Amino acid sequence: MALAEAFSFDDVALVKDGHRILDGVSDHIHKGATTAIIGTSGSGKSTFLRLLNRFEEPTEGKIRLDGRPLDSYDVHALRRRVSLVAQRPTMLTPSVGQEVRVACPTLSDAEVLQLLKRVALPDMALDRATSTLSGGEQQRLALARSLAVGPEVLLLDEPTSALDEHSAAAVDAVIRSLVTEDLTVVLVSHDLDRVVELADKVLVLENGRLVERGGPRDVRYLR
Amino acid sequence: MNPSPQIPDWLGVAASVLLVGIAVVASSWARLGLTRDLVWAALRAFVQLLAVGALLTILFDRAGLLGALAWVTGMVVIAGFVAAGRSPELPRRRPTAWVGVGAGVATTLGVLLVLGVIEPTPSVVVPVGGMVVSGSMTATNLTMRRLADIAHQQRPDIEARLALGMTGGEAMTPHLRQGVKTALLPAIDSTKVVGLIALPGAMTGLILAGVEPIVAIRYQIVVMYMLLAAAAVSAIVAAHLTRRALFDDADRLYRVTPPA
Repeated sequence: MALAEAFSFDDVALVKDGHRILDGVSDHIHKGATTAIIGTSGSGKSTFLRLLNRFEEPTEGKIRLDGRPLDSYDVHALRRRVSLVAQRPTMLTPSVGQEVRVACPTLSDAEVLQLLKRVALPDMALDRATSTLSGGEQQRLALARSLAVGPEVLLLDEPTSALDEHSAAAVDAVIRSLVTEDLTVVLVSHDLDRVVELADKVLVLENGRLVERGGPRDVRYLR
Repeated sequence: MNPSPQIPDWLGVAASVLLVGIAVVASSWARLGLTRDLVWAALRAFVQLLAVGALLTILFDRAGLLGALAWVTGMVVIAGFVAAGRSPELPRRRPTAWVGVGAGVATTLGVLLVLGVIEPTPSVVVPVGGMVVSGSMTATNLTMRRLADIAHQQRPDIEARLALGMTGGEAMTPHLRQGVKTALLPAIDSTKVVGLIALPGAMTGLILAGVEPIVAIRYQIVVMYMLLAAAAVSAIVAAHLTRRALFDDADRLYRVTPPA
């Protein structure tokens, strides 16, 4: 059965300061699937991800979500629906409990603990100082903070690249468990082994152009 | 004390040139290479003050309240240019600075005039307005500078909040408070130590003009409170306008890079 489209791109380009960062990108991202964006450094991967929550705006072409132009949605509602987790976690509040509630202050303690369990931090005290957490724990807390707003799509920009091996493995395990849920995940990664393991579909960017697409075992870039 | 102003005559002013000479000799002796700057600064001060003195004499004699307010408006415009010049990377910086300084000045001068605390005559409105403009300019300048630095340094923090669906205003709220606090500290500190570290300008001027110190402090108290209010209003208005200017209509934070 064909999967429904979440995002579709129609000849999308982005020109910034005279540089063509993305050029002629046309494809789609399936609902409930994990799509990996790969390519060399500077190929436009992160910019592509930032188009999906409107942190960037295409200068040409159209992006649609559920068939509607992305810019026809209320931008704040869109960003709750399509949540971006950055490469380096930034803690916004002093304590773990406050951090999960930063965008949803009405969450109960039980709901916060449930979210912490989803990101494999089940025994974390809510009054623990965020500054005392390891990089991996901070990244998982950032994931819990994003999950708290109830997104349908998670955008993950190199979520483990700033972490040591041990922390990266813990974050990886959480991402693996999240992709089995009903979430649509779009993942930018340079770790090709992880992409093969996690992704249902791979888009390969090169100098801002989409040069390959397909299953992780089909694209030549991963062979 | 009877009013017996000890104001130097032109001969006295000429004698004070000796002080510039001392500064020049000292800087030459220390090989600071500042002789030209010192002489140029002294000359500029002389010419500027002469021109302002002549203009104010005409203004006080003939302009009336409207002329005085026009003069104060001119000062606001110049102060806006100066405040905006410190944050060249900010979008819409000049309108922000003009409205920020103007709001502080209009509020405080308006209250003082409406309540009859100061006389609505040019010889009062212009010097008092000058003090308020200066205080508002400093607060506006510090607020805009601090927020420009925050928009650059705290970009990951602000974008993390935006990514959770917050508005630009919500994402900037913690930083706005910090920016306004930073801008208000000089006004609060100088109010705290007034009279302890140095005698402030308005009071010094009145005492030099022969007014009893116990009378002069009444004016100074009004001036200090006026400067606090002006700084607070200017900082808050400038902070809100800067915040609005930092985001586009899709609540994306503009990329601002501080000047090298």
